[in-house]
Amino acid sequence: MPLDTWQEQLRRGGLDLAILLTVSAGPRYGLSLIQHLEDFTDLVVTEGTIYPILGRLTREGLLEATWVEDEAPHPRKYYRLTKLGLKRLADMKADWRAFTEKIGRLIDAAERPGRAAQ
Amino acid sequence: MRRKGLAVLLSETGESRVNGYLFVLERSLGTFLPHEVMRDAVREIESHLRERIASAVAAPDERAAVERILAELGPPLRVAQAYSAERTIDEAVTTGRFVPMWRAMLHLAGTTISGFWFAIALLIGYTASFAFFALAILKPIFPANVGVQYVHGIPVGLGAHFPLTTGTELHGGYWVIPIALFCGTGIFVGTHRGARQFLAWWRGRLRS
Repeated sequence: MPLDTWQEQLRRGGLDLAILLTVSAGPRYGLSLIQHLEDFTDLVVTEGTIYPILGRLTREGLLEATWVEDEAPHPRKYYRLTKLGLKRLADMKADWRAFTEKIGRLIDAAERPGRAAQ
Repeated sequence: MRRKGLAVLLSETGESRVNGYLFVLERSLGTFLPHEVMRDAVREIESHLRERIASAVAAPDERAAVERILAELGPPLRVAQAYSAERTIDEAVTTGRFVPMWRAMLHLAGTTISGFWFAIALLIGYTASFAFFALAILKPIFPANVGVQYVHGIPVGLGAHFPLTTGTELHGGYWVIPIALFCGTGIFVGTHRGARQFLAWWRGRLRS
């Protein structure tokens, strides 16, 4: 598998978690969420592809969407985490931490073979 | 770009460009999304664009600014494709209903080579199962034309023949009906399950 394909899969795999984490601090509309992700990560390659993911997470019951009409000159669609989303986020965070810890241990072992063998 | 109160006014050219983008997006989404869902998606993308345009209010070159904003959002067909991938495949795998399954397969057939070949295989499977069902329906109506076809005494196939050619004979009583129903149902269920598994695998691939 080419490196860029692997990186793309890694990016996609982390995107759901990144979106849920962003929304967990409070309701956000699409662009505000994208800007937050862009500030902290390079996960957003094409802004327009974030909206279908938000739609899916909403259909799965992890997010709740509400249109707010009077806040800006144009309506904004705000997303907030549901109870189910909160629980899923907790599970995903734990899984992610466990996963990165395991891979980290493997990397350490590979970089210091003498120490790993002890 | 000019500001009027809080609203940002684009020139006529800029407005046309934005509306053109939204028009293509709406048309693309309309082919596979229910109307209400499509309207909501276009409204959200328009909200995104207006927000971006509002923050680029001081840009000296409006055309360049609008093009940059649209490029960052992605081509409308790509955005529509992302919606399609998330929505149609999701619906097909979750419900297993015939129409969403076909919609998802048509989407894959139009966007990927493996999806195209799988859609062809699916078409063959469904056509074969419907052909067996048709035999079961036709047998009571045309009992002499539906059955096992023999050419010079050798059985060559099961089917309906209108009219029979010379050297061809048809054998088979009404037992053809349960056999045809059994084969049709088996092929239909096998094809449908195969399609659903393929779409589930594809969905996993998209999300991984």
